Amino acid sequence: MTDLDAHQDSPPDRVVTCTARIAELPERVRNQIAAGEVVERPASVVKELVENALDAGGREIRVDLEEGGVKLVRVVDDGIGMGPEDLVLAFCPHATSKLRDVDDLEHIASLGFRGEALASIGAVSHATILSRPADAPTGYRIEDEWGDVSSVVDAGGPRGTSIEVRDLFLRLPARRRFLKRTSTELGRCLDILQRLIIAHEGIGFVVTHDKKRVLDVEAGMDRRERVRRLFGADLADALEPVHGEDGTTLLTGLVAPPRFGRGDTTRQMWFLNGRPLRDKVLIGVLKQAYRGLSVEQRQPVAFLSLSMDPALVDVNVSPTKSDVRFRDDRRLFGFLVATIRRALAATDMATPGDRMLSTIARRGAWAPAPQQAPLPDPGPQRDDGSMRGARPASNVDDGFRVYEVPASGESARADDPWSKPDDLAGPYVKVAKTYILRAVPDGFEIVDQHALHERITFEGLKQQLAAGGVEVQRLLVPELVEVSRSEGKLLETHAAALEGIGVFLEPFGDTTIAVQGVPALLRSTDSDALVRDLIAMLGRIGAPPPATELLEEVLHSMACRSSVMAGDTLSDEDVHALLRRAVEVGGAQTCPHGRPTRVHFGLADLEKAFHRR
Amino acid sequence: MKVLCEREKLREGLTVATSVIPMKSTRPAVENVYLVATDDALELVGTDLDVAVRFRIEDVKVEEPGTALIPARVAADFVRDLAGDTVTLRTKGDNLLIESGDDCCELTTIDPDEYPVVARFEESDSVRVMAATLTRLVSRTSFAAAREAGRYAMHGILTQTEGDELKMIATDGRRLAMASAALEDADAGSKSAIVPTKGMQLFCRVMDDPTELVAVHFGESQFCLKTTKAEVFARLIDGEFPRYSAVIPPSTENRLEADATTLTQKLKLVANVTSSDTRAVRLSMEKGALTIFGRSASTGEATAHMPVDFDGKPGTIAFNPDYLIDGLKNCESDTVRLEFNEKTSPGKFTLGENYVYIVMPITIDA
Repeated sequence: MTDLDAHQDSPPDRVVTCTARIAELPERVRNQIAAGEVVERPASVVKELVENALDAGGREIRVDLEEGGVKLVRVVDDGIGMGPEDLVLAFCPHATSKLRDVDDLEHIASLGFRGEALASIGAVSHATILSRPADAPTGYRIEDEWGDVSSVVDAGGPRGTSIEVRDLFLRLPARRRFLKRTSTELGRCLDILQRLIIAHEGIGFVVTHDKKRVLDVEAGMDRRERVRRLFGADLADALEPVHGEDGTTLLTGLVAPPRFGRGDTTRQMWFLNGRPLRDKVLIGVLKQAYRGLSVEQRQPVAFLSLSMDPALVDVNVSPTKSDVRFRDDRRLFGFLVATIRRALAATDMATPGDRMLSTIARRGAWAPAPQQAPLPDPGPQRDDGSMRGARPASNVDDGFRVYEVPASGESARADDPWSKPDDLAGPYVKVAKTYILRAVPDGFEIVDQHALHERITFEGLKQQLAAGGVEVQRLLVPELVEVSRSEGKLLETHAAALEGIGVFLEPFGDTTIAVQGVPALLRSTDSDALVRDLIAMLGRIGAPPPATELLEEVLHSMACRSSVMAGDTLSDEDVHALLRRAVEVGGAQTCPHGRPTRVHFGLADLEKAFHRR
Repeated sequence: MKVLCEREKLREGLTVATSVIPMKSTRPAVENVYLVATDDALELVGTDLDVAVRFRIEDVKVEEPGTALIPARVAADFVRDLAGDTVTLRTKGDNLLIESGDDCCELTTIDPDEYPVVARFEESDSVRVMAATLTRLVSRTSFAAAREAGRYAMHGILTQTEGDELKMIATDGRRLAMASAALEDADAGSKSAIVPTKGMQLFCRVMDDPTELVAVHFGESQFCLKTTKAEVFARLIDGEFPRYSAVIPPSTENRLEADATTLTQKLKLVANVTSSDTRAVRLSMEKGALTIFGRSASTGEATAHMPVDFDGKPGTIAFNPDYLIDGLKNCESDTVRLEFNEKTSPGKFTLGENYVYIVMPITIDA
């Protein structure tokens, strides 16, 4: 209760006699306590207000922040607005325009619905609403100062609603103390706003902080354009569209190649029926989909919308609405992972050269020369009007040779029917008996011979394993593993499928499982760990993993051992065969450990490196 | 302290002690060897806290009894490389001097109080056995003990006495080796302990005279061995050893007898194609003939034939060839006998007198 003591005018009914220890809290205190559930920090205010603006049908939304939102959060929309009757109720708890009775909870389509937000915000700040419905001659205003709600007065204003929240938690020092530095709070606000911006195509957003414009997106921009505006062109250009349907469930959006993975999840966005959320199941989906493609611990970058029948999902789990509960999450999981993996296969997984250059620059080993205003570059002499760039400069004396590269302004993409197909032909330059350099139609690439061969070997082993049966080493003494009752049931239900991948289990009492046989390829298995892994996988995807996945560890090391090593000398024929097999196997862009097998320098990268761009 | 002793004996003692002493320990004192000079002998003590050894060198001339704790590996290497026949060990202030002829080494010492207490062998209730018997039982069984993975109790050799018999059993959950031999004592009572494999191997190392009669003691927390030269202690593994008797099939329907050398050679032959992506070799048997077959999806397949005595229903059973070859290496008789019931039930190999090796089969196309 100490955090509320700062409140100046305690109502008299708080004074209790010593016989009555339990007293009903006055409404104001109730609201301030409840506010903690909805309003944690400025970012939560931003989220609630922008969601309200969206629900009100705003097409252009402006958000003004000051001091990271602590001093001011103002959200202005051009939506339907509220009349005086609505405004009177706006700050009442559980007053909402979006829900009438419990049955409506079954099909919530609007973003807000609990009717808690405004009352909670009003209880912990100085909030003002100024609103004018489209058909009203004037606007109206209402204020809520720390729970004291004023009456509605006439006021001039543009069509739509403007809600201003000032001095959040100013009178609640205990809460205010938990606010972080301005930059941190601003970062959280922007994170929420970025999610909302990506989620709502067709809505324009302007965000300012301390009167400076920080985000600006026009209504007409599609999702890729929005990513480009918020996160840059590199990411936007590399994104691959995702599309999949399963009954009434629809998955759309964009995924980034694995190399864009980050240490945090700020660029991992899920939207459920337009609502941004961070759900554990969905985070798990991305982790599973990028498995084996991305280095562990890198968070994939993806912007995905899931639309499904509101009856199939419960969004009313928590006040912040960031967690949801799916009716059939196993089936959903499988569908999502498969759809995303399909899209991922199409992304370009080679590490682009410019990224490497900038990494080198950051490390200090290489820095761009100081820029002097360059002369306009007329480019080399053109002799056929359309072709520009590297002419065959014949053999230069010092041993360097320049290979002809058919260059055009934009990079030749593999799906461009006019570009020359890559015939994987040499000449190859071998560096340190490890890296193979080769000109490709739109630049050059460097292949790590070991990583590439390892991937090819791995794919081959996987196919063999799938073709032959699984050998099972029977155990002399069954190894007993303690499990919970529900885990035991889970394993029992899938017993037949588990036998198919070489794991033989038998119930041994209610909470003990006896391991009778394990895949013979697992040289030294820890049965306990094996059973735990299986339980985790069964719980998540609802089916045992394919045998190959279970044995992936073994296959990895086998592939590694039986592959061409760094330092092995390869002839030109070997190199050509290796590259051709990589094309046949497909998906050979990362080695089984997730390292890239090839680095690609496009013409654009080269131009950047030489400051032609 | 001041001691004069033969270099060769000191070298031997230091080698045994350093085989126990760890390279790195959280207790730096145990990285040292503890020297104790009593009136008539020099004792070298080493331990890694699980296994401990006291190596006793007699025929030494002790001019001044005392103790010293010195870096074990440096001392052992220095003594090994010395050329002289005799060595003098003598304390000088806080240091210990190792001298031989014109050569000398001065080692820093550590306060002996920091050294853990190492027990002494208890003669009472000990059991006497021929050194060769003990060594043979260990080599017959230790290879089957679990190494990195598996239940902790299986990381040791179950050692038991029953009347005048000493029995050892080791298993890693996939195969089990059991061997027994006679004790020198008529009735040793019934005792049981799980001794860590590492400790057992050290026991074998200090027994260099196979005909010597050694004493073993089943302590509460330690298994101890005493030879004329050394006392070795191994901390017991606390745990429940699998019920091995339930694993050994009491009666079998199929029985195969084969020449052990030929079988080993044929198994090795076929195993050349397995091992990368398969583990199993299939033994198909019918009256008078055994066919060994191995196949790998990536490399190909191999077949070998050999004549055998077979009594039972013609059929096939598959095993990990490495397990079979491990056992056959220790086979003491010319012929090996394999008995089993079904292709999913354990195979019982008889590798010699009182020597049984059980291997679980591999099943294919589950």
